[in-house]
Amino acid sequence: MQPILTVDRVHAVYRLPNGAEVHAVDGVSLSIAEGEILGIVGESGCGKSTLASVISLTARPPLYVSEGRLIFNGHSVPLTALDRVPNDWRGRVIALLPQGAMNSLNPTLRVRDFVVDVLRAHDHSIDRRIAIERARERLEQLSLPPRVLDSYPHQLSGGMKQRVVAVLSTILNPRVLIADEPTSALDVSSQRALVNLLLELLERQIIGSIMFISHDLPLLSNVADRIAVMYAGELVELGTTPQIVRAPQHPYTRALLQATLVPERTIRGRRIEGIPGQPPDLRQPPPGCRFHPRCPYALEQCRRERPPLETIEGRQVACWWVARQHRTVPSMEGLAP
Amino acid sequence: MSPFQRYLLTKTGWYLLAFFLAIAANFYLPRLIPGNPVDALVARMAAGGGAEGEALRRIYQHYISEFGLDRPMWEQFLVYLGNLARGDLGTSFSVFPARVSDLILKALPWTIALQLPAILLGWILGNTLGAIAAYRGGWFDRGAFVGSLFISSIPYYCLAIMLLYGLAVALPIFPAGGGYSYGRLPTLSWSFLMDALRHYWLPFLSLVLIFIGGQAVGMRSMAIYELNSDYVNYARSLGVPDRRIISYIFRNAMLPQVTGLALSIGSLVGGALITEIVFGYPGIGTLLFSAIRQNDYPLIQGVTLLIVIGILLANYLVDIAYGLIDPRVRAVQAGER
Repeated sequence: MQPILTVDRVHAVYRLPNGAEVHAVDGVSLSIAEGEILGIVGESGCGKSTLASVISLTARPPLYVSEGRLIFNGHSVPLTALDRVPNDWRGRVIALLPQGAMNSLNPTLRVRDFVVDVLRAHDHSIDRRIAIERARERLEQLSLPPRVLDSYPHQLSGGMKQRVVAVLSTILNPRVLIADEPTSALDVSSQRALVNLLLELLERQIIGSIMFISHDLPLLSNVADRIAVMYAGELVELGTTPQIVRAPQHPYTRALLQATLVPERTIRGRRIEGIPGQPPDLRQPPPGCRFHPRCPYALEQCRRERPPLETIEGRQVACWWVARQHRTVPSMEGLAP
Repeated sequence: MSPFQRYLLTKTGWYLLAFFLAIAANFYLPRLIPGNPVDALVARMAAGGGAEGEALRRIYQHYISEFGLDRPMWEQFLVYLGNLARGDLGTSFSVFPARVSDLILKALPWTIALQLPAILLGWILGNTLGAIAAYRGGWFDRGAFVGSLFISSIPYYCLAIMLLYGLAVALPIFPAGGGYSYGRLPTLSWSFLMDALRHYWLPFLSLVLIFIGGQAVGMRSMAIYELNSDYVNYARSLGVPDRRIISYIFRNAMLPQVTGLALSIGSLVGGALITEIVFGYPGIGTLLFSAIRQNDYPLIQGVTLLIVIGILLANYLVDIAYGLIDPRVRAVQAGER
């Protein structure tokens, strides 16, 4: 599987006015393949939205990227100097589908005027009529009413606005769409309409791949090919969706699944377990594994040393306890007659 | 009747009601000032030694009945309304027998010529400065912000006196007072215009300065608010160039500033009282000031009527013009919500 976009060792901090630094994303590396939907899941404040704004090239003060680069088609771009990123990357290579579509459109601009601005940004000579026509075709392909082009944002409903934003985000046929909690403000039927729209865009190869950021694990397990689990700014587990949902390894992933309502028969009868404790203060993250204060399996080693991401059972996991289990289990199997 | 016409009709009704209430206040308030204009008039005559005793008493009686001050208040009010309907603002008590409308027409050109260019120039410069400061940030922002805040928060009379001292006394670049040199009569000759222009700069400068200060502070905070909004971030993520984004911000941050401009223009007919006093400049402000000192009811009423009309008209136009700039307001006007 050839990755189209690789995110390499991203480290991003929020610099507070009092000089403190919040390490919101700490050494995260990911890659995404053509046609793939990569889910990124984690609780509030785990750094997933920060990661989204870093990858979508929209980080701005007080958020600073102190380390990391993006690699696309063999071209490597440092994330630490956003002004060195070719402008063509914004919208064409990577596009953002933002969290709050409610406020993502300029209230005093008609949708069609914004379409013209976006298309002109990448093709200076494009004719206004041709630009609008292109948007109209796209809307028709996706069976959305083309009249939205003549509307102001306040004239669209919430679900409609989110779908219009999805069309605008993909009007340049981006290779990677960073969808940052696109469904979190929507009711269930609008969520479904949006997800179907994204799937259709992917199927028609209008977009190359989707990085779908959400706290909604059941939703992700339905759409994502692979799922990355983040905790306190770090990647703790990354594997295919069946691996993560059916056989989670990291104690945090297990706890997250335990805390989720899933209407599947095998799991339905189970009790919902919360995760005791609170996520750590990222101004002073705990030493060693960041999950150890809340982890029921924490070892002495977990309090001192940061676990590396290791490939275990075909997925990547950063956990001393899991690593130990898998060193001992095969040897026990070897002993058995 | 279309919803917009209904909107226009209700608005017009409300403004007519406000106008009537303002006229009533205009009529009663000056009459609450202790003292009687005829006392002052007759006292001036007695001091001049023109008449004594019985003669003076009869002159007093004559003036009282001439001005209608012996009739009950409600009757005086009805007479006032009747005269107003015929466009008759009455006769001045203090500059008897000059007509109030003539006095106002003589002072008005000075006031408009001084303030209208100052307000327009100050508004344009102030808003541009505020928007650039918000966008550029850094030292430019700090300098512009502190400077504007300083100028707009020192009491205006201090600024005016400081300018007067600095540029007319310490460094005698400009004349220290008056609208034209002593001994000249206002005529439409080239030499008179040049003379008036020399007297014009200093009061003009003082007004432009405070206007720039006030507008820049307001525009800067509005623009900073807009800069941090989601739609700016989203437009950037799609590669829309900065100059387009600045034009979005400028337009949206401008909305409250337009109200400010219209209200300033509406209230300008009231004269810049302090400017006119400090710089000894002729105009409506000085006229009103001397009218109040001499209990000149008709003149006070005439000037305040002008102010009322100016402010109500400006508000009325703002209410309607707002819809042209902001589609959300237009929706309300058109009864869409």
